Amino acid sequence: MTALTLGFIPLTDCAPLVVAREMGFFADEGLSVTLSREASWATIRDKVAFGALDGAHMLAPIPLAATLAAARESAAMIAPMALNRNGAGITVSTGLAGAIAASSLAQVVAARRQDGRPPLTFAVVFPYAVHNYALRGWLAAAGVDPNLDVSIVVVPPPRMVEQLADGRIDGFCVGAPWNTMAWATGAGEMLTTTATLLPGAPDKVLGVPWSWAERDRPLLEAVLRALTRAGIWCDAAANRQDLATLLARPDLVDAPASAIARALDGEIIFQRDGAATPSQADALWILSQMQHWGQIGPQVDHAALASRVFRGDLLERALTARV
Amino acid sequence: MRVLVIDPDPARAALVAEGLAGVDPAVVRQSAVFDAAEALAFGPDVIVVACDSPDRDTLESLREASQANPRPIVMFADRSEPGLAEQAVRAGVAAYVVDGLAPGRVRSILDVAMSRFSLMQQLRGDLAKARADLESRKTVDRAKGLLMKERGLDEAAAYGLLRKLAMDKGRSISAVAADLLAFAGILRGGDGS
Repeated sequence: MTALTLGFIPLTDCAPLVVAREMGFFADEGLSVTLSREASWATIRDKVAFGALDGAHMLAPIPLAATLAAARESAAMIAPMALNRNGAGITVSTGLAGAIAASSLAQVVAARRQDGRPPLTFAVVFPYAVHNYALRGWLAAAGVDPNLDVSIVVVPPPRMVEQLADGRIDGFCVGAPWNTMAWATGAGEMLTTTATLLPGAPDKVLGVPWSWAERDRPLLEAVLRALTRAGIWCDAAANRQDLATLLARPDLVDAPASAIARALDGEIIFQRDGAATPSQADALWILSQMQHWGQIGPQVDHAALASRVFRGDLLERALTARV
Repeated sequence: MRVLVIDPDPARAALVAEGLAGVDPAVVRQSAVFDAAEALAFGPDVIVVACDSPDRDTLESLREASQANPRPIVMFADRSEPGLAEQAVRAGVAAYVVDGLAPGRVRSILDVAMSRFSLMQQLRGDLAKARADLESRKTVDRAKGLLMKERGLDEAAAYGLLRKLAMDKGRSISAVAADLLAFAGILRGGDGS
């Protein structure tokens, strides 16, 4: 058995990693995998870059941003597999939902400015996240400038609902199960989902050090095969209740199984229709968003970075190598 | 120098703060959670944050320049010295330097934080070991008592029997004692726990 440690953040979409371990898919490939629950995306990124983790559940833009920022070759990363698509949503406070329904978001923003009140505050989980781009696109489409008209802050997912309830933030874009939790506690109302705003956008990926694919490709391929089986298992409707019960455990997502089940019934996709393959189009779209919102400069060669980091070819080879 | 320590573990935060108080003029404040308004009022030069705090992501976002905030407020201490940030993250701590502080000055702060983090880990490890030792002594005592009662042995003979069983099986005395108690429980009709 080869021992590996993979990191995850307590969110519904860590499911393929958890299922691959619990259902023995990793063991079938000769892997003994320890899952390490982490508290922040920054720590996940650093631990993978420094080799303290062999790989991790990551927001899809992180491997691109980390590779671009890497001072050393060893800190560069690749994403050989997407863990899920869709699954996040935009929730606003019950009060704001009512005000938007009565007029429009742009009118609410203008009225606050006229009254000399502070701008609305929206939260995302990390700057390099599809949630950030979805929220900004949604605001812009409503005639609100995300940079000037509102304040966008970063709040850790487990604190989102509490901050919405006590009025520190007016809305957020976050992954499951936190939109459902806000609704269940009466703190907010989900207005739209990333599945509607950005259908099929890659949400989380498996991020691993760049060197792994060169150093020990058979080992990486074994991990990808186990996660593929796990993704298929997660997609199967018959397994949804078992999956919700499993993820609800205090050492995993630590949220009520009912909220997780409701989130799984939404539009989250793990494996079907080629969802697990991180394509060049996915990477190019993420890079265009990063550039649009000022996270990267105009000098970045998008095509070169996309082909270096989003390695769907490794997944395809892992799956054909077995036949 | 003003240092803000963010650590959800209050005992460790106190240990780090106490260590930092000894570093050349440092004003130290500790908090379990990062609060932007509080931090602004305190005006730290360095923010030391535990890697198991979710607040790292909030601090990361303050590195981003935007139109509303044209200058990044903080930077991750990865540019100050090669390998320093890596060493710190492995020790379980990260640091953010507020724009304006000479990067070299973060070294002394991080050295203290790293040594305090490893001290805390050692203290917790020692405590866990002491608890486990105590627990295994209790198990051996109970197994001895059982043998004395069931086999009519004196204490030394009961201990000798346990030690022989342990040596024959190549296992520790406490493991053999725990097995003996479990089997006795089953024979008495319990569930063995």
